[in-house]
Amino acid sequence: MSTAMNFGTKSFQPRPPEKGSFPLDHLGECKSFKDKFMKCLYDNHFENALCRNESKEYLECRMERKLMLQEPLEKLGFGDLIGGKSEAKK
Amino acid sequence: MGGLWYPGWRGVAFCGWRWIHPGSPARAAERVEPFLRPAWSGTGGTERGLRWLGTWKHCSLPARHPALQPPRRPKSSDPFTRAHVEEWRRRNKTTLTYVAAVAVAMLGASYAAVPLYRLYCQTTGLGGSAVAGHASDQIENMVPVKDRILKISFNADVHASLQWNFRPQQTEIYVVPGETALAFYRAKNPTDKPIIGISTYNVVPFEAGQYFNKIQCFCFEEQRLNPQEEVDMPVFFYIDPEFAEDPRMINVDLITLSYTFFEAKEGHTLPVPGYN
Repeated sequence: MSTAMNFGTKSFQPRPPEKGSFPLDHLGECKSFKDKFMKCLYDNHFENALCRNESKEYLECRMERKLMLQEPLEKLGFGDLIGGKSEAKK
Repeated sequence: MGGLWYPGWRGVAFCGWRWIHPGSPARAAERVEPFLRPAWSGTGGTERGLRWLGTWKHCSLPARHPALQPPRRPKSSDPFTRAHVEEWRRRNKTTLTYVAAVAVAMLGASYAAVPLYRLYCQTTGLGGSAVAGHASDQIENMVPVKDRILKISFNADVHASLQWNFRPQQTEIYVVPGETALAFYRAKNPTDKPIIGISTYNVVPFEAGQYFNKIQCFCFEEQRLNPQEEVDMPVFFYIDPEFAEDPRMINVDLITLSYTFFEAKEGHTLPVPGYN
């Protein structure tokens, strides 16, 4: 924790996440999606832009298994990946 | 009469002394004249002179001449000076009232400063404090800044009393501002009893922390791990596109996200710093 007690210096202020906390995936229901995503990252030298499809699929898995609140994918920043896919999750 | 020599001084300072000012020949002449009268004979003159000296003892202050009064005496009954004094007193009172009012206003301002500053921080978002109105429709509309690649490195820590194995599943990830990204941590409970942990995070450099927005993560809430359980903990975040326009961030290419887990005990609350 950064508590720099110097007058005038900026210290870090942690903020709670916007949509709260992820429930833990105790049963490993989305583990396969996670493994796919990690493999994609390793293959692409950890470039996030190339693995956004896999991250989208992981979040969709979570939403299906009620491990995450249902959100339209545009609100999660995947608007460009939806494309022609029918948007049933609203 | 000369400017420095008030005629009245003579009456005050030299009781009965007939001071003869060299600059006042007319007066001097008046004073000296009786002694120069022809009646002043030789023998009788000494007596008279002694008598004159004798009167020196029984002197009293000469009768006050109105023109000889010094105008500066504060207890004078002169209405002109009294009005002046009254005026000064009134002015002093007004000044004192003004000064007292300013002092009270300063005290009030120092009390009001705390909520006002909080309000100011919220509206301008300075110092990385929570910005009100940061809605999710911003995520919808944000455009990735593709020419600014940032490296996010991950760090994991546990408190000494927490017996979890907690580590990131990737050491770094390359993102651009405006793009949502997913990252994973892994935690394992190697003991044979359930442990509840709670975590907080830190972003280095500090100024970049205000642009680091987490959509969802696993921090600030209690997470329970059963014995021998291993879970993946995702963090879903993005860097605000305004990061690319901040001149202070021009040399920032590496942002480190560090999570620390603590053990959550019954009745304990994690003190979250800041104005939450």
